Amino acid sequence: MTSLPLLALVLPCVYSTADAGTRASLETAGVERICADSDLAGREALPAPGTAARAGVASPTRAPWIVASGWRFIRHPDAKYVYDVPAGKAALAAAEAFAYGADAALKIDPADLRSLGEMLKFLGALPPADLPAVSDLAIVDDGSEIAGEVMNLLARRNLLFEVVPAPSPRFRINVRIGTPEYPREEAADPSAFALKIRRQLTDDQRVLRVYGSEVVICRLTADAGRARLHLINYGGREIEGLRIRVRGAYRNGEARVAGVGRLALEDQIVASGATEFSLPRLTTYAVIDLVAVR
Amino acid sequence: MHRRSFVRLLTATSFLRDFQVRPDTPALRVVSKYRASANSGMPGPYPGRVVSIRSDRCVDTSTGAANDEVVRDMLARGMRALTGAGTTADAWRRFFEPSDIVGIKVNCGGYPHCVSAYEIVADVVRQLMGVGVPVSHIYVYERFQNQMDEVNYAPHLPEGVQIVAAERANRNVDNSGYDPATYLEADFFGEEDTRSNMMRLVSRLLTKIINIPNMKDHGATGVTGCLKNIAYGSFSNVARTHQRGKSHTYSVVGALAAMEPLRSRTVLQIMDGLRGVWHGGPFARTTRYVFYPRRIMLGTDPVAIDRLLLDIIENERRAHGAISIWDRSPSSLKMDDTRARDADPNVNIIIREPGHVEYASTLGLGVHDRARIHVQELTV
Repeated sequence: MTSLPLLALVLPCVYSTADAGTRASLETAGVERICADSDLAGREALPAPGTAARAGVASPTRAPWIVASGWRFIRHPDAKYVYDVPAGKAALAAAEAFAYGADAALKIDPADLRSLGEMLKFLGALPPADLPAVSDLAIVDDGSEIAGEVMNLLARRNLLFEVVPAPSPRFRINVRIGTPEYPREEAADPSAFALKIRRQLTDDQRVLRVYGSEVVICRLTADAGRARLHLINYGGREIEGLRIRVRGAYRNGEARVAGVGRLALEDQIVASGATEFSLPRLTTYAVIDLVAVR
Repeated sequence: MHRRSFVRLLTATSFLRDFQVRPDTPALRVVSKYRASANSGMPGPYPGRVVSIRSDRCVDTSTGAANDEVVRDMLARGMRALTGAGTTADAWRRFFEPSDIVGIKVNCGGYPHCVSAYEIVADVVRQLMGVGVPVSHIYVYERFQNQMDEVNYAPHLPEGVQIVAAERANRNVDNSGYDPATYLEADFFGEEDTRSNMMRLVSRLLTKIINIPNMKDHGATGVTGCLKNIAYGSFSNVARTHQRGKSHTYSVVGALAAMEPLRSRTVLQIMDGLRGVWHGGPFARTTRYVFYPRRIMLGTDPVAIDRLLLDIIENERRAHGAISIWDRSPSSLKMDDTRARDADPNVNIIIREPGHVEYASTLGLGVHDRARIHVQELTV
């Protein structure tokens, strides 16, 4: 595994679509960064995060289709983004953008003011932890749509990757689409392609595993002394007892869960070069801070 | 770390001569700190032995209603025959003692027409209390609370019996009812969540388990009997083993049933054959595929009972002109088309794996060879 340069985690700015979303009502809800119309111009539009039914699309597993933009943030960390989300999605969008340190504006439905305000307060109160992102593999970005879709499928499987301009010796696996090892024809089925990469990596060697859900996408940041894990739940239902495995030895883990507060990790063990623990509750978003065993 | 991990190379099993494990059997990693008890629950003290009690009066086939008195008599006579005990109470004392915490694994998936009968479950509770097991130490359990709510055993049982489930519903969001340290790990189809965890109730609380399956067809396993009910009903995330026409239940049913402590603690099998399902199982949303075997099979060997069940379901299907549970022809397969399956008993949605029963025998769970199974037939 290796790490990526830092990204400052900033709160998204918020733009409300109706009269109820006046500056006063936004401020009352706890929104501190409020967008003007001019703030929305020139930003890349993002889909509303969540899960979606994809009728007629074959999948090798029963996992639901997740609409997530983390891979876009990893691919273009300096870009500016805008979400235009329907009611019920604003808090999730805010958490997603925050987890990846994305410069995002949120265009929201006024019905979400309260839940978004609570999420922003939670995010704003998190202790700072500007740690580099951890990755298992590198993907050489040729700028193609197909490369983006591969990144999307890698992210959905929690196969942590770094985008590089050319193969990097820092990684055991460098994915360059169009090479004999990674033919473009194979990448045309990005789900199977991601599975191939997963099996090359092997599950035992992956820096992160998630058990108990297939709708939670994580971002792991760490240095030699500590780690912070961001967990984003796209499923819309609270999850109990999510099991996490992180490579490396950690102790004193603690979770901060949006809408819940601080929670102790349960059933924590360190074995076979990895740390495992259970998160009692996961709402839309949580961060877990871990201290490395020295 | 107080746990023991080990990998079972399933192709290395050789309990049964001439048995060839299929080459497509996936690698399964079993993680459990629990050791087998000295007296293993499965196959237990009566390997290859089944007591089959039949009564034409146990169910009114025109209404589906069971006769409580007849059912109690069937169980009592069956338990005495199985154990050789002089009284019914003594028969139950062969298995249970007052200090036990007993789980009763029911099957609620066939609601409303074929679930573990209230009359059988109630009599089991009555007998356990007669042994001296405190009512609060008796747990009726399933995986999903919504199914338990539908079936609603509470009005049929003494107050104080615990009725519990591991998850609220089959939504893959409740993991806290499962033991994070006791699981089977395998990658079947490239799914991300590769673990199936044993219920905490089973691993950390119960000392004994009574298994009460129904006589049902199953679209992925051929039949769902003792092995499937106790295995897939005690672990999380098991539906992932069968999809898009392919079923890994062939090896996984037995592998889960053989995991400790489930294997050691499951001491009694009561196959509820008052009612049955010959197609469309494990569900029974209509009476179209319901039939009435009107029998109960008792034993400690789940393989032997399930071996008999294979014939019962196969014969019933044959009587209706339906394809065999052993049918593997592509022409019968309409992948994932449950509507077609429900409409036509000659449609499979998955290639069934009734061979899971024989496979389980290779793990030492019981006797599969029909010639070595002794069936004692009783009539009430």
